[in-house]
Amino acid sequence: METRPPATLFCSTDMRMASATDKFNLAQSMVLLIDHNQQSLEVLSSIFHGYGVKEQIKCGSTDDAMRIVQKRNVDLTLVDCSMPGMDGGDFIRWLRHETPAPLRFMPVIMLTGHAAESKVNNSLNCGASFIVTKPLTPAVLLQRILWLGADEREFVESDTYVGPDRRVRNLGPPMAIAGRRAGDLSAHVGDARDVNMNQSDIDMMMMPKRISL
Amino acid sequence: MTEARQFKFQSSLARKLEVPGGRSVGEADRLAREGLETHRLAVMQTVDATLVQLVGLCAEMPADAGKSVYTLASRVIDLVAYFDTGPLHEAAYSLCELSDRMLAADSWQWPSVLVHVQAMKLILTDGCRRSRMSDMLLDCLKELSGKHWEVPDKVGVSQGQR
Repeated sequence: METRPPATLFCSTDMRMASATDKFNLAQSMVLLIDHNQQSLEVLSSIFHGYGVKEQIKCGSTDDAMRIVQKRNVDLTLVDCSMPGMDGGDFIRWLRHETPAPLRFMPVIMLTGHAAESKVNNSLNCGASFIVTKPLTPAVLLQRILWLGADEREFVESDTYVGPDRRVRNLGPPMAIAGRRAGDLSAHVGDARDVNMNQSDIDMMMMPKRISL
Repeated sequence: MTEARQFKFQSSLARKLEVPGGRSVGEADRLAREGLETHRLAVMQTVDATLVQLVGLCAEMPADAGKSVYTLASRVIDLVAYFDTGPLHEAAYSLCELSDRMLAADSWQWPSVLVHVQAMKLILTDGCRRSRMSDMLLDCLKELSGKHWEVPDKVGVSQGQR
């Protein structure tokens, strides 16, 4: 009979919202932050220092970011949607379509302040792992990162779209996010909290029995 | 057209998150917020300077300045996004929305922009607190934006002054 260890470490099979006492480790992760606004970049960097990220690459343009992701082993990228030149959506599309595996599978969070009408469609189908809208708090951003770490979605590659499966119908949306469809689950469904049933218990439930009426 | 391929993939982020050690969610949040606070003063000064630039544009009303207005309002959103500046963020967002649509419709109205900028200045001066005044200002901005889209050609100042 299998039992789960105490829930003190946020692990990839655990899709619930992390509580304040749950532990995670970003100390060994390399994070790439892309924002054309230097001050925003510094603010974001301070937040990631708080998360315990030691290796951060701050990047003011997507052109520089394209070079960096091909040279360094980046584990997570955050990119602002409204970058001058190649915007955040185009950068992610390039990453997903034009780079080799496993680089193309890298989790990428796109941050949006105001999404101009012209850029909305571009952003939706670019292949971002998550689109986070501002304003946001460090706590919300951290929950999104942990959710990505525990991401159960399959990766999809097709002619028109490369990126994580956009459908979360069977997983439920991340905690604190309303589902897009009426049928979406209200909360994320993770692993069972209780002890698993053993095979004989399951057999007993499934086994047809003769009953006398 | 080829068929879509679907497969599971565990990222390096997922693997590294599971490495023993690290810190708790609560501790990380506290440290991140502490780090954030060290930027508050400088950010608010930048926002103030950005509003001065917007006031300047409203006074001069240069042609083809619509994109600049949108960019400056976006800058405010980007900067205040991490701080608890609810009404200021909403007002800046409203200005972004308004200028984006005015640009798309080729119907630029400086008075609408000026009202937004003045509202943002008032909210900033009031410490970005949510108050009756901020609620009233935001209601006015919403009404102003709504009216603009109901009768875009009748409220307008001359076209081509963007």
